[in-house]
Amino acid sequence: MGRARPSQFVRVAALLWLAAGLASRATAADFVAEQATTAKLSRGVHSVWLHDLAGIGYTKATLFDADSGRALAQVDTGYLGMELELSRKTARFFSAETYLSRGFRGTRTDVITTFDGETLLPTGEVEIPAKRMLGMPTSAHASLLDDERFLVAYNFSPASTVSVVDLERGKFVGELEVAGCALVYPLGPRRFASLCGDGSLLELTLDDGGREAGRKVHKGLFDPNSDPLLEKAVRAEGAWLFVSFGGDVVPVEIAASGLAFGARWPLSDAGERAAGWRPGGVQPFALHAGSGRFYALMHQGGKDTHKDPGQEVWVYDLAAKKRVQKIALGEIATSIAVSADDAPLLYAAFIGAPALVVYDARSGAKLRAIENAASWPGLLQPILPRVAGAP
Amino acid sequence: MSRFDALTQAAARRLASRTSRRSLLGVLGRLLVGGAALPLLPVARVARAAGGAPGGSTADDPESCDYWRYCAIDGFLCSCCGGSASTCPPGTSPAPMTWVGTCRNPADGKSYVVSYNDCCGKAACGHCMCNRNEGDRPPYLPWVSNDINWCLGGGSLISYHCSTSVLVGVADE
Repeated sequence: MGRARPSQFVRVAALLWLAAGLASRATAADFVAEQATTAKLSRGVHSVWLHDLAGIGYTKATLFDADSGRALAQVDTGYLGMELELSRKTARFFSAETYLSRGFRGTRTDVITTFDGETLLPTGEVEIPAKRMLGMPTSAHASLLDDERFLVAYNFSPASTVSVVDLERGKFVGELEVAGCALVYPLGPRRFASLCGDGSLLELTLDDGGREAGRKVHKGLFDPNSDPLLEKAVRAEGAWLFVSFGGDVVPVEIAASGLAFGARWPLSDAGERAAGWRPGGVQPFALHAGSGRFYALMHQGGKDTHKDPGQEVWVYDLAAKKRVQKIALGEIATSIAVSADDAPLLYAAFIGAPALVVYDARSGAKLRAIENAASWPGLLQPILPRVAGAP
Repeated sequence: MSRFDALTQAAARRLASRTSRRSLLGVLGRLLVGGAALPLLPVARVARAAGGAPGGSTADDPESCDYWRYCAIDGFLCSCCGGSASTCPPGTSPAPMTWVGTCRNPADGKSYVVSYNDCCGKAACGHCMCNRNEGDRPPYLPWVSNDINWCLGGGSLISYHCSTSVLVGVADE
């Protein structure tokens, strides 16, 4: 085959140029240039926040749509963030955060950050004493009180105190001393409890300014030597449900007049207990308020395996105090949560694996695994249903 | 048992399935040591922690989670981060406060008081994650709670890097 003459190249190139020009003119009329914008958050009843401990560093939380498996949005939660304080009343939410001025060194600043629930932008912050407890995540490290005017956050310096923030005024009110006790469990608009190392529960009452109005020690909730309580409790209607290392549910009933210790009841029978079945994990308990179902993440292990991952979720009818279901997890988990709607999903994640696994909470069937959801999965937080009349 | 070098899914699951003694959490913890506080050491934990080290060839390997003196450690082993079982890696500083455990050395049969000093001042080391919860309790008993970050000092003593286990005495049994 002979070599093409230069004039042939010119003709072919000219034709190609002409074709490309015609094509661009043909589409230009239809073309609408894009503009960079920001998506609006689209939540559903199966939206769930998954916190990422990020190798024990600066943490974040990602909101997933558990039905589609898609990530919807992210918020950043500072150094060793634990959870978000989600609102039932407003479109905003809060986060107790720590920052170091030079990343991993420098001046420490702790803040309660307000996020807009629609834009997810931080819209304000209240500086609190730079000593909120840092460490493995627990939902009891900070909490909104029931009417959401005050937020309380547990400090460990190593003195034990609680910071009180007035969200209405956007101000830090002061610190309450809770020596010998730790963490915060809201009891009402102006009341919360702290769990104490001697087995008692400390009840603290605030006045309308957020100052201490009273305190009461309720002795004998548990024996820290024979069967300590896990601090990872869940709140049911009118009660906090604590669970002991051995697997007894220890209810604390909340009444306007005060607190009462309910009757303990076991998660497992004698045979199961002898076989080593016990609760464990980072977030081992969940509640579905609508059906009155309590979910416990269970594993087989010996003494002091209270942080081990679970292989099964045992489901209880709270009114009957009886187990009604066992869900064998496809993957082991250290955190579980249940959506609040009438077709609830069970969410599960394991701190050592990056997936968020979604189950049908009623049938126990595995629906999907959302891969690469977090590098070190921490707490799970399903979105909360808003109270009637809330925006 | 191999050390927990990376939290890959496969490795983590394998580890979880092979041990019930150790959970897979990260982090921190420890009790006030520092001289004057030593008389408060929870030597009562001897009974609980004595069986912590399972023996075997890894019980004398400081880069193994099964090393005998790690019976209540929780975090990244400083031995894998440029330090040793009792020294912080260059550029980090021991936390001024720690928590304390009591571990039995299978080599001599004696129990030793161990101070779990966090090393502070840099991002988490990320190597040799090790968590053994013998005697661990929730933060309402902070001196035996390994969930707490004890890098509680100011300046460069806030961020958690890794954990050491320093022998500070022979336990009085």
